[in-house]
Amino acid sequence: MPAKESQKICMDCKDADAILHTRHRHYCGACFKRFLSHKVAMRMSKFKQMKKSNGKAPKLLLPLSLGISSSVLLQIINEDIGRQFAKTFVNVGFEVHVLVVDAQGGANDDVYDAVSKAFSRLSFTKLPLHSVFEYVSEMGEIIAEYANQNFVDQEQATNEDRLTAFRTTISSPTSRSDLDSVLLTRLVVEYAKSLNCEAVIWGDSDTRLAAKTLASVAKGRGASLTWSVSDGMSPWGVNFDFPLRDLSKPELEQYLSVCEELSGLVVPDAPISEDVLTKNLSIDDLMMRYVRTQGEKYRGVMANVSRTANKLQSTIGSDDPSCPLCGGLVGNVKGNSGVTVANQSSDNYSAKFCYGCMRSRPESSIK
Amino acid sequence: MSQSASVGECPHIPITVEFTGGLELLFGNVRKHKISVPSRMSDGSPTNISYLLPYLVDNLMQDQRKEMFIMEDNVRPGILVLINDADWELEGEEKYELQPGDNIVFVSTLHGG
Amino acid sequence: MAPTACFNCKEARAVIIRPKNRHKLCRACFLQVFETEVHETIIGTNLFYPGERVAIGASGGKDSTVLAAVLKTLNERYNYGLDLCLLSIDEGIRGYRDDSLETVKRNAVQYDMPLEILGYGELYGWTMDQVVAQIGKKGNCTYCGVFRRQALDRGAAKLGIKHVVTGHNADDVAETVMMNLLRADLPRLSRGTSIVTASGASDIKRSKPLKYAYEKEIVLYAHHRQLDYFSTECIYSPEAFRGSARTLIKDLEKIRPSSILDIVKSGEDMAALVPSDGSQHSTQCSSAAAAAEDDVGGCGSQNGRTSGGEMAAMEKELAQNESAESRETEIRLPNRGQSSLGYQSKSVKKQTLGHCERCGYISSQRICKACTLLDGLNRNRPKTAIEVSVSAEDEETSSTLMRQMERTQLTNS
Repeated sequence: MPAKESQKICMDCKDADAILHTRHRHYCGACFKRFLSHKVAMRMSKFKQMKKSNGKAPKLLLPLSLGISSSVLLQIINEDIGRQFAKTFVNVGFEVHVLVVDAQGGANDDVYDAVSKAFSRLSFTKLPLHSVFEYVSEMGEIIAEYANQNFVDQEQATNEDRLTAFRTTISSPTSRSDLDSVLLTRLVVEYAKSLNCEAVIWGDSDTRLAAKTLASVAKGRGASLTWSVSDGMSPWGVNFDFPLRDLSKPELEQYLSVCEELSGLVVPDAPISEDVLTKNLSIDDLMMRYVRTQGEKYRGVMANVSRTANKLQSTIGSDDPSCPLCGGLVGNVKGNSGVTVANQSSDNYSAKFCYGCMRSRPESSIK
Repeated sequence: MSQSASVGECPHIPITVEFTGGLELLFGNVRKHKISVPSRMSDGSPTNISYLLPYLVDNLMQDQRKEMFIMEDNVRPGILVLINDADWELEGEEKYELQPGDNIVFVSTLHGG
Repeated sequence: MAPTACFNCKEARAVIIRPKNRHKLCRACFLQVFETEVHETIIGTNLFYPGERVAIGASGGKDSTVLAAVLKTLNERYNYGLDLCLLSIDEGIRGYRDDSLETVKRNAVQYDMPLEILGYGELYGWTMDQVVAQIGKKGNCTYCGVFRRQALDRGAAKLGIKHVVTGHNADDVAETVMMNLLRADLPRLSRGTSIVTASGASDIKRSKPLKYAYEKEIVLYAHHRQLDYFSTECIYSPEAFRGSARTLIKDLEKIRPSSILDIVKSGEDMAALVPSDGSQHSTQCSSAAAAAEDDVGGCGSQNGRTSGGEMAAMEKELAQNESAESRETEIRLPNRGQSSLGYQSKSVKKQTLGHCERCGYISSQRICKACTLLDGLNRNRPKTAIEVSVSAEDEETSSTLMRQMERTQLTNS
């Protein structure tokens, strides 16, 4: 954080003391917040546009992790809605519903309660991750087939126990984190569909998107980038959108530092421990660490990553078979004549599940 | 050298250590080194690869750039270790306990071709 | 620890664990499986035709040595009917190439293949020692990198050979995929993973038969077959390695050994997802042509590896563009080119490539970089304008060689 003694004046309002700094500019708290809000508003304007063209405010689902990025997104959107409301009373450009998925057995329930109270204009829902068995009714069958002989799904057990049993068959941190996010995505999507939402607006920062892009590539999920980190149609008929894609994690952290409305309402990041040996990290963690450390020196280069992924052409709508677990393409993208898949031993190959999911599959023989 | 305290007390085991694939450049440009190491570590347990690594840095390595060989107290990613010609993963990696006459090969994959 | 039996033959002692599927194999089964997979790649991609003359770009390093050994084995085992030879490039640096060229000469005898060594002197009229004498140590790397890029093609053309194979492995391809994401280079993303990169102009086809082979397995193959190869020091320069995509890939391999091939798979899929701009150029042609231009040969010992230096150069460029660009986005209408839900339609600008007017080599400029540099040298005016437009990769691949040369000069004096 910039020191107090600097006599700099905010470069935007030319009035207040500058206390924050980004992209070679100094800002006061208010102008910094305005700058970030503007970036988000630009991304959100497509929804207002939709309303103008068909007269109906689109319904959006905002999955809130209660962490820094999605909380800042929530705050910015809430403010925007408040402004729209003040201007027009009822004529708001979009309708936002907030979903919190609890994967930690209620550890953050108090924060959830506080947040849902503080943002009373919006409607909130909290679901445990294991309710994916409820929302995706065929999930039990899917994972039973996926995990092969290593796991038998006990349908009569509680969903919580079913999820725990499945997760314990997965030995590596990489596969566990990979499959957790697959299940989370499925639950969010099904919930969005149950509310008839047009789009899910994810709270990933540009930093996170870069890390996700690199991690997806490293996990053999390159073909899924066109929806997993890109704005557009997902495989399930709901759009995915990333309104924070122009903002870095450090910028969102600075926002939080000057945002009174969010104080006490954000669960701080679990730090990526420096003393965890690289080989014990998950690929997701490794990439987050890489993008954050490299981003200090090479912010622009890291920002390139998600921007590049966002330019890839979507395959949604093609007749190619998709993975029942993650929704990704099974086999190669049309036009990819590579032989990697054919080159796999039968263990790792499946005609049903995609390449990336097969890589995270519980190993048939524990070494 | 600090290891002199342990020398003399406990018996030593003779092993061969080889550096190839460019790693030899860090070890005085000599590929094959016949050395003997104490058979017990300071805590009394049999000497393993974890012990051997810093031992090699302290006693055999001539280049100052330790991080070219060791990272996070282990062999740097990209360097393969073969214990009697087998991938060390088959032998328990750094926990492998040295036996007399063992041949330990470190091969760098980091240089080009 | 009791010895593990081979997954394949269930008899011999397993000595390797395969990165891609964790299978534990004995020496004999491993060599067999490794060769068979390269064979499957060759067959699956129709890489060669019977009677084809193929030059193996040989540096004496592990990759090209393994490539030569495997191609010889497969050519005999499966009757490819290939006419194989080794093609080496001598930059003309006294004391630097000697050892690796000696290795290549021994390889030629070991594999019973004709060897052609072509020097920068023959190809360009200038050895690197002469270039350095002319322009000094600073900046010579640019010359070396630019010259090397064309040398293999020019060498093959000289021999009347139309197909050059190089030792690029899966790790190299994976690194290229990551780098192209970092530098937001869609055109390269669309072609960097393809096994063949033909160049329309010189008629020379380039391919990498080891593109699915893990570097780790290449080194182990060389070890278990006791192949004679030479390793250079360049890559041990920490600045060239730290923070690079290479580090990332080696870390990934530690976490999930299969990930290198997983990146290649992702890269192949992404290549097929790069949108075309719908221009009259056939994608096939322009992307293939461009590949010849950017297939960086590295310092001979570095298969086109990238480094933090390249990222620094890229960052600088991006920072320069930033303020202007950010202002531009502020005023841009957000709903240009909308689909029903306001998602922009995607298109990318393709690089346009032609041929150098001087030498006919693929170039995005009227005169290719090599010819421009040669012009400067020949006019005894080494500081040509090209210096500013030289891309980061040229700078980087060569800086390690510069250090080499400094070292060489020291030892010589």
